Amino acid sequence: MESRLADVGHLIQSARDGDERAMTELITIHKGLVFTIILRMTNDYHTSQDLTQETFIKVFMNIRKVKNAEHFKPWMCTIARNVVRDYFRKVKRKRTVSFEEIKELHGHSNIEITRKRVIIQDAMAKLSEKDRMLLTLTYYQGLSLGEVARVMKMSENNIKVCVHRARKRLRKYLEGYEHELLSTC
Amino acid sequence: MNSCQHAEKIVDYRLNQLTEEEKAVFEAHLKSCEICQHELQVEMAIENELSAELDPGFIENRIKARLQLRQARDVRSFWLYAFRMAVYGVTATIVSMILLPVLLKFPLSSVLDLSKYSSGLAGLLGQLAPFNAFVVIFGFCYIAVFFASMYTLTQIRR
Repeated sequence: MESRLADVGHLIQSARDGDERAMTELITIHKGLVFTIILRMTNDYHTSQDLTQETFIKVFMNIRKVKNAEHFKPWMCTIARNVVRDYFRKVKRKRTVSFEEIKELHGHSNIEITRKRVIIQDAMAKLSEKDRMLLTLTYYQGLSLGEVARVMKMSENNIKVCVHRARKRLRKYLEGYEHELLSTC
Repeated sequence: MNSCQHAEKIVDYRLNQLTEEEKAVFEAHLKSCEICQHELQVEMAIENELSAELDPGFIENRIKARLQLRQARDVRSFWLYAFRMAVYGVTATIVSMILLPVLLKFPLSSVLDLSKYSSGLAGLLGQLAPFNAFVVIFGFCYIAVFFASMYTLTQIRR
């Protein structure tokens, strides 16, 4: 863990000095996280790709502000969140994800798996922006509770309470779909 | 499906928020409760889906190209701003050069009684004539505008 942080620290330092290879490396390491957060928030594949690029542009334009490699990931997630907020302020709409988009994204030919994903994405879309962000960050395996707290600007205890409530709300929206959710487990 | 009072603990259980004792009690209950087993499976299915990392494809080169464009645009807008400020500065100087002699001939202090406003300042700077106090105030304002412009320039540059 510490050696990985040290690597990221070196990459940040090199990216600050304009090293393109370091930038590419940083993008490759973190693009999955940023894209996942944005897609869960926007439910739109192409918009998410665009907003992911916008997030990284902002990251590299402000990379001098990162003093500690440990804070890089939460800082980047905060930028992604702000980019999504700006986008929603402009378009003022929510959309539901289509069956075809999910199929294209995951490359699954299995109809049941694709359907399960559509159901979960649609249920997520019904949650508030805060709940969606909380659940995305919490379920994502690469982030600690402390990092989630830093992105959400909340205390760790508060995060636990809010996640609990958000999960309950999500579960409520998924009522009646249990059969589909368990069909491929 | 009927509910079970222990089903409330499934979320805490999956988030590892139960104490060792609570966890042991819940796991013992889980073995014999079909409702909780079913709920746990649903929770795990949701978790499994939401923990998946999605791939945006190869976007590295596009980001770098867009970043270069953005930086070039910022540098261009910086120089445009600097040019605009220079034009303003030259215009202000020319206007001042025209206005100052006029003011010297017809000082505003003769129209407006600035002595009461400048008395405090005059006290600090020695007994200045109202007209001199007016020049000092005018100069201070000019310097303030100049520094504000310079500060804005440095902010944009950063």
